[in-house]
Amino acid sequence: MALIRTFHEHHDNSDCCQLSSGRARPVGGPAARDCGGPTVTGERLLVPVSESSTLRNTVAYAVRNAVEGENRYDAVHFVSPASRRIAGEEYVESARELLDRVEVWAGEDLGEDDPDLTVETALIGVDAYLFSPGDYVELLAGYAEDNGIGSVLLDPEFNPGQNTPLLPPLEAELDGAGFSVETAPVERGTRRERLVRRASLGQFVLLAGLSYGFYLLIGGSLAAFDLVTGAISAGIVATVLWRISLTGPVRPGRLLARIARMLVYTPYLLYEIVVANLAIAYVVLHPSLPIDPEVVEFDAAVWSELPVTTLANSITLTPGTLTVDVTRQHFVVHTLTEGARDDLLDGGLERAVRFVFYGRAAARGPGPRERGDDGGEDS
Amino acid sequence: MVSLYEAAVLALLAGGVFFGIVAAVGLLRMPDLYTRAHAASKADTLGSGLSLAAAAVVFGSGLPTVKTVLLLVFLFITNPTAAHAISRAAADQGIEPWTTEDGGDDG
Repeated sequence: MALIRTFHEHHDNSDCCQLSSGRARPVGGPAARDCGGPTVTGERLLVPVSESSTLRNTVAYAVRNAVEGENRYDAVHFVSPASRRIAGEEYVESARELLDRVEVWAGEDLGEDDPDLTVETALIGVDAYLFSPGDYVELLAGYAEDNGIGSVLLDPEFNPGQNTPLLPPLEAELDGAGFSVETAPVERGTRRERLVRRASLGQFVLLAGLSYGFYLLIGGSLAAFDLVTGAISAGIVATVLWRISLTGPVRPGRLLARIARMLVYTPYLLYEIVVANLAIAYVVLHPSLPIDPEVVEFDAAVWSELPVTTLANSITLTPGTLTVDVTRQHFVVHTLTEGARDDLLDGGLERAVRFVFYGRAAARGPGPRERGDDGGEDS
Repeated sequence: MVSLYEAAVLALLAGGVFFGIVAAVGLLRMPDLYTRAHAASKADTLGSGLSLAAAAVVFGSGLPTVKTVLLLVFLFITNPTAAHAISRAAADQGIEPWTTEDGGDDG
């Protein structure tokens, strides 16, 4: 089904329509047909790819969109611009491997139920000079022209040169060149989230106080020297980190209530850890190693960052369950045994975390299973 | 003669060593990365926890014990974070978890 083609010198479009004109046409425009290119039977999608953290999701989105989106596509072309002259042979080689990977991913995403979609991958611009966004636009436009493609899907982290951010100018130029351009709505890695946030004086005071207390505790003395150096250290720490460490406004009453409930939660967690540890020790030492690992997914009824982090860490701490990935409140958990799976989906830990952060009433809510989430992987 | 105090320390240490060994055995016996992460990170929490508890008992009440408890707190924060980082990296790389269908007992 999938076909790998390698193209060189896509700058040479003399046998086809002029690059600078006549490309303002609807999706899947007929230009290629007009100038004797391959016959266009349906709409095709061009996806430029490069090594990026969002590439996997972009591929998934492209395939899903092509199969069941508003605009269906007959073919998806994944192309990787890689210039040997600019980036070197190694980069071209890695781009080739990347395309192999993309092809495998697309195959995975297609599954076996849709043979109608053609997936093609191509390495382009190997012998071209690729410097500016304009060069890339020209190259991509040339490829699109030759293959009768009118729509472009961009990976939000697409950056073939791996140097300057290319996407905004590329998006604008492609749009200006008459393509229908979309940026894949995929989740970006956390590193793109804003680290520095607005903060209030309360956060500064809280952080400085915590640092000061910790300093004195570790130092173990209240001598004048320690009091002074501690104050200086706490001041520096709080000045540098007060807008990063703490999120949200400080409400002393709620904070104290949470700390108190955390103190109730800790023995419960410890108890769970001990019980589960014994169960795992039994499994590990059992001669026939009776494990039945399975990945389960569920949406936890906890919100915001700190509760989700607490729940994720508690799940990992409890033997037999290991948090693999968390997106907002969607948990992907690797479970080692049937028993661990049952405990997880019964939601004991989740209720406990809700109790810590939202109070007693919230703890009485249903667990994942009672919410109709059976932990299936199809969610 | 072993006093009650020493017996408590010894029992805690023995428990810590036991779970440490379980972690090592699990690491060797488990079939794939995820299950090994279970063994290595989990039994370790109790293994190191009991060992630290033994240390706390030896120190008696006072500042060193507080520090021991702090150590435990940090272990309980960093340990699952590391396990999560490793398994998430593995999942991002597309490593499929081992299941019982993947084959029999590899001893």
